[in-house]
Amino acid sequence: MHRPNRTTSLRHAYFGFLGVLLLLLAAASTLLAQEGFKTETSSGVSNIRIAVADFKPTSADPQTASFKQTFDSTLFADLANAGIFDIVSKSLLPQSTPGAPAEIKIQEWANAPTSAAMVAFGSFNVQGNKIICNGFLFDAKNLQYPQILAKQYDGDATDDMARQIAHRFADEIIFRLSGGSQGIAESKIFYVKLTGADKEIWQMDYDGANQHAITHLGTVSLSPRISPDNSRLAFSSLGREGFQIRMYSLVLNRMVNFTATGGTNLSPAWSPNGKDIAYSSSRTGDPEIWISDANGGASRRITSFRGPDVSPVFNPRTGSQIAWISGRTNLPQLYVMDIDGANVQRMTDGGYATSPSWSPNGQFLTFAWDRKYGPGAPGGQDIYVMEIATKRWIQLTHDGGRCDFPSWSPDGRHIVYANSPDGKATHMKIMTMLADGTQKHELTGAGADMPNWSWK
Amino acid sequence: MPSSRPASPTSASSPSRFRSEEADINSSLTFGRDGNSDRLGANFAGSIVLHGLIAGVILGWAFLFHTSGHNWGENASNAGAIQATMVSSLPLPPTQRTLDTGVLTSEAPSPAPIVTKERTEPPPAPNEVAIPEKITKPIKTADKPTPAPPKHIQPVTPPPTKAVTGETAGVRIAQSTLEVKNGTASVSVEDRTFGQRFAYYVNIVNSKVAQNWYTAEADPRTSLGKSTTIIFDINREGVPSNARVETPSGSPTLDTSAMRAVQRVDGFGPLPQGDHITVEYTFHLHPQ
Repeated sequence: MHRPNRTTSLRHAYFGFLGVLLLLLAAASTLLAQEGFKTETSSGVSNIRIAVADFKPTSADPQTASFKQTFDSTLFADLANAGIFDIVSKSLLPQSTPGAPAEIKIQEWANAPTSAAMVAFGSFNVQGNKIICNGFLFDAKNLQYPQILAKQYDGDATDDMARQIAHRFADEIIFRLSGGSQGIAESKIFYVKLTGADKEIWQMDYDGANQHAITHLGTVSLSPRISPDNSRLAFSSLGREGFQIRMYSLVLNRMVNFTATGGTNLSPAWSPNGKDIAYSSSRTGDPEIWISDANGGASRRITSFRGPDVSPVFNPRTGSQIAWISGRTNLPQLYVMDIDGANVQRMTDGGYATSPSWSPNGQFLTFAWDRKYGPGAPGGQDIYVMEIATKRWIQLTHDGGRCDFPSWSPDGRHIVYANSPDGKATHMKIMTMLADGTQKHELTGAGADMPNWSWK
Repeated sequence: MPSSRPASPTSASSPSRFRSEEADINSSLTFGRDGNSDRLGANFAGSIVLHGLIAGVILGWAFLFHTSGHNWGENASNAGAIQATMVSSLPLPPTQRTLDTGVLTSEAPSPAPIVTKERTEPPPAPNEVAIPEKITKPIKTADKPTPAPPKHIQPVTPPPTKAVTGETAGVRIAQSTLEVKNGTASVSVEDRTFGQRFAYYVNIVNSKVAQNWYTAEADPRTSLGKSTTIIFDINREGVPSNARVETPSGSPTLDTSAMRAVQRVDGFGPLPQGDHITVEYTFHLHPQ
């Protein structure tokens, strides 16, 4: 009976609703228009463009060619990985191979298409059982006084020594041109290698070459940590008394004493002076952070909260702070405290954070973080860098599978980490990248985990 | 109290309701039985049209304005800027924006050059090209002024011992200038032979400070187009010290940003020669 009237009122309601909708949309669009701006602070400072000439062979020894091949490729890769150079492709280099300052026509290298600002060149020869190598670095823009660096190296005629010499020369170039930061070409990476059911500690050069085993314990060894003076290696290993901190001397090439205690002892960390070791121990029932001296004596407890406390790492710049992972509020979070346990500060606001590593300048922490942890949550475990003073973070890996165990290089420009593209633990491989997340590449194949970069 | 209240709505509206009911009855009577089903269909169609209209408006709106939403990572008003600053404070050179037009720097293969067929232009008709008339100007002759010889010997002004950077065109070999995004940073070393001999070191000093200069710290309202000069010493180990403002720009924020740029640097690497040098560094902020 009331239908006609009701439809008109409904129609009014429709139009009213439509009007409100339009108003709301208009309001939303003006709001968006106000927030839509971008800022950036990147300055256009360019990298130094460096040309690396193939070194000139100056001996007829049959071994020269193969050693020189190793040397040239290593030097090129070192400078390319340094992260501070634009390296000139070898196809753009001039035809000549200068071996000494008198032989180089610097203008050739400064002109297009090479357009190099710096040229590294030299001679390489094998005499008897010795490699003798002269390396030069010339400033191609300074025709009057081009020479920056002149170095002579000699060593035994082995492939390894050819690589060593290339690393040393690369470090010297990086030291001069980076503004005083030491190169990392001679640094080492220690890691866990999956060998059947066991896990042993292995070592490799920073570029993935020269991989070899350190321990042969026939058990599960985890989280290797090299001492600041490269003399000792601490790790946790499964023995008759459960997981204990073990110590291996790289000087003596054998296991040395570290006092065993009760409970599960995990994740050792060296203080920057090499005298103390912080680790997680559950000797009192609850995993807490303990600090002891390098032989396992004089241990003292730092944390005393319910919930697990693991993965401590010292501030390498000051040695007076520890970052660690604590599960005191359910899911593991990243915390920072003073070395005596005071000034506890929570760094992450949620998710699932693991395995922190402190940057050499003490300014940043890198850690693995699953920011939205839980069933069906988006994202996965990725590597993050956080500025400690401001707690601002950036994400370095995206969609590359599970990433864990980041570790800073001694120059603070690189981060090594473990990555498993499909999430399986046996497919973990070690990757390296620049500290801003660029230039990712693999160092090992599958079956390598928990990398730790040496201090120098 | 009840007297102050307005009349109860039921009592007020009841006559009108009666009236409307009457009207309803009337209308239903007049429209008859067969009008009922038609009415339903019209309402149904009307509602479909209206719903379609609403859906169309929403979709159209989304289509028109879908570009002006948030960008990822820009939820806070200054989140984007903060993260960029943090990346640049990592001890890495800032990433270069690749020049997409360059053949060598671009990832994309460069397009093949378009080959156009050569066409010979038909020769112009003899009357097509107009021969311009020659304009002859009257030759001006200027009377040569004969300068009167100075009565007194002019005092010889000594040449300035120090060039004010950016304002005089003095001979400054030991200098390097670098364009940053919206500023110019130029450095000059007072010891001229040092800068000549170790030009690469001057370049390192320059780029290292320029990397650490955050031009966003300078207030653009007061600093644009101004320049400030900072003087600092570099010791044997390459550590800068004793930074001070030599020529203030008049904009305190620009001076501070320049000072901070120098103070942020940990070191430039050991000096190739000598045990210290003094560096004069000019920061110039220009509009983008």
